[in-house]
Amino acid sequence: MATKTLHRRSRTREVLTRLSAYLAILVALILTLFPIYWIAANSFKFDIDIFAVPPEWLPRNPTLKHYEEAFIQRPFLRYALNSFLVAVGTTIVSVVFGTMAGYALARFNYPWQWRKQISFWILSTRMMPPIVSIIPLYLFFNYFEMLNTKSALVIAYTAFNLPFATWMMKSYFQDLPVELEEAAVVDGDTRWGAFLHVALPLARPGLAATAIFCLIISWNEFLLSLIITLTEQSQTLPIGIAGRVTQYNTYWGEISAAGFMACVPIVIFAFIVQKHLVRGLSLGAVKG
Amino acid sequence: MLKSADGTLTAQSQPGGGLERWAERHLRYLMLAPTVSILLALTIFPSLYMFYAAVHRISPNPDLPWEFVGVGNFARLLSDAQFHVALRNTIVFTVVAVTVEFLLGLGLALLLDKYIRRLTFLKTVLMIPMMLPPIAVAITWKLIYEPQFGVLNEIMYRLGLPLQAWAGDVNLAMFSIIVADVWQWTPFIFLLMLAGLASLPVEPYEAAAIDGASSWRQFWDLTLPFLKPVIAIALLLRVMDALRLFDLVFILTGGGPADRTKVLSLYIYQVAYRFADPGYAAAISLFVLFVTIVFSTWFMKRMRLAD
Repeated sequence: MATKTLHRRSRTREVLTRLSAYLAILVALILTLFPIYWIAANSFKFDIDIFAVPPEWLPRNPTLKHYEEAFIQRPFLRYALNSFLVAVGTTIVSVVFGTMAGYALARFNYPWQWRKQISFWILSTRMMPPIVSIIPLYLFFNYFEMLNTKSALVIAYTAFNLPFATWMMKSYFQDLPVELEEAAVVDGDTRWGAFLHVALPLARPGLAATAIFCLIISWNEFLLSLIITLTEQSQTLPIGIAGRVTQYNTYWGEISAAGFMACVPIVIFAFIVQKHLVRGLSLGAVKG
Repeated sequence: MLKSADGTLTAQSQPGGGLERWAERHLRYLMLAPTVSILLALTIFPSLYMFYAAVHRISPNPDLPWEFVGVGNFARLLSDAQFHVALRNTIVFTVVAVTVEFLLGLGLALLLDKYIRRLTFLKTVLMIPMMLPPIAVAITWKLIYEPQFGVLNEIMYRLGLPLQAWAGDVNLAMFSIIVADVWQWTPFIFLLMLAGLASLPVEPYEAAAIDGASSWRQFWDLTLPFLKPVIAIALLLRVMDALRLFDLVFILTGGGPADRTKVLSLYIYQVAYRFADPGYAAAISLFVLFVTIVFSTWFMKRMRLAD
């Protein structure tokens, strides 16, 4: 792995590089973790301690008051449930269809360079900024009286999760050796059977990673939900949080509690998919 | 990295009913059809509809008919000072934020590559910011920037520096947005660069070392060219994301103060909903879409990313 540098380097210089690297890691860790710690810490403080000057670095008087406010008195549990349902719905639709399309684009030939053209087009739909589609989507959902429904959110989120799932799965299927499927076909399985019984089980880690990424993307989405949802019947967690930052007052304790709770599942997911992070974040283009 | 697929599999004639055989023969199209039709419905239809909306004046009252105005809405783009401000802010944000993230991310990756390569856990911890909901990131930074009891002003005070309003200050608002974005997205560049560095071949470096090439030369002549495809992807994805910036601005500044952080996404949102002028908002959206498509197509073709 680490190639020994062939030219001689003085010992002190190496020690210095090593020290500065460790120092950089330390600083990066502090800068990364402090804001997350800070929102967590504030969610456990009484209002009076949140406003303390100088700030209270450790909550002296920890309380669950804001969690109770947010999740019991106010409808944040409802928002979280909406977020969860919409994320699951979007993920199922995107992963099922995206896997089939990804497989087709990884394995089959099409006339007139369609494979390349279609891949490129699918990728370009992912590049479309969501703000661009809000007006037609709004008018469309308005026309079909679907505004303020979770189904509308699932449809809107599918627009950018499906291209993502397709590209991810295409990249995973391209990594699998085609010979196993060929063998299955020679043994009398159908082409569809080879996909279902051979390729799909082998791609299971990729499938799981793709699904988790879809869950994260949908869970985090804000803009489309802001436009489509109106009441707590369909509003998602980010909308609920943003709604407590008003012109007149910001409910710091409440949004800290809700914001921190919104982060917890994401952090867990990040560790589950840590081996797939690079591929997931680069739409399958860079294999980590 | 981008391996072209080997798609030479063809099914032999299979037993089974006529429909089954038909499905098997057309499998390549059937497997692609749901995705293609869904995406057609969700992207082509809205785009066409937007053209239609953009040439009309749409009243907020749904009972009033749309009034045809031709290129009127597009002509307004030329004289709309707010649009120019938003365009400028978007460009400034994109260029500065992505440049800083790129330099920081690449620098850190080069410095830490050798020390962090096997520390998956540590890498994952450093990656957390970019996975978090942008709204949660926004309120976190709002808390840090808070002028009265925020942490940042506490640090300024301890250092004996003047206290600032940060996101509320005319001159610092954009800076504050950029810092929060850099916090969230530098890890992305860092992660991709680490992946790129891990896949570098060893031999050219050994040869270069024998030739006595300085580490600076090795970086310019070997590392950078090898990393080029990864850098291209990282920058493309970051630029696309930066152009759609919305959540951070919505929570941290609302576009203010004095429109200093009003970016295109926010302006479209305001025109469509607060000013209730969806026709004009559609015209601005089309402009953004046009720029995005031109830029990303040019970039992907140039870097050969679409294989």
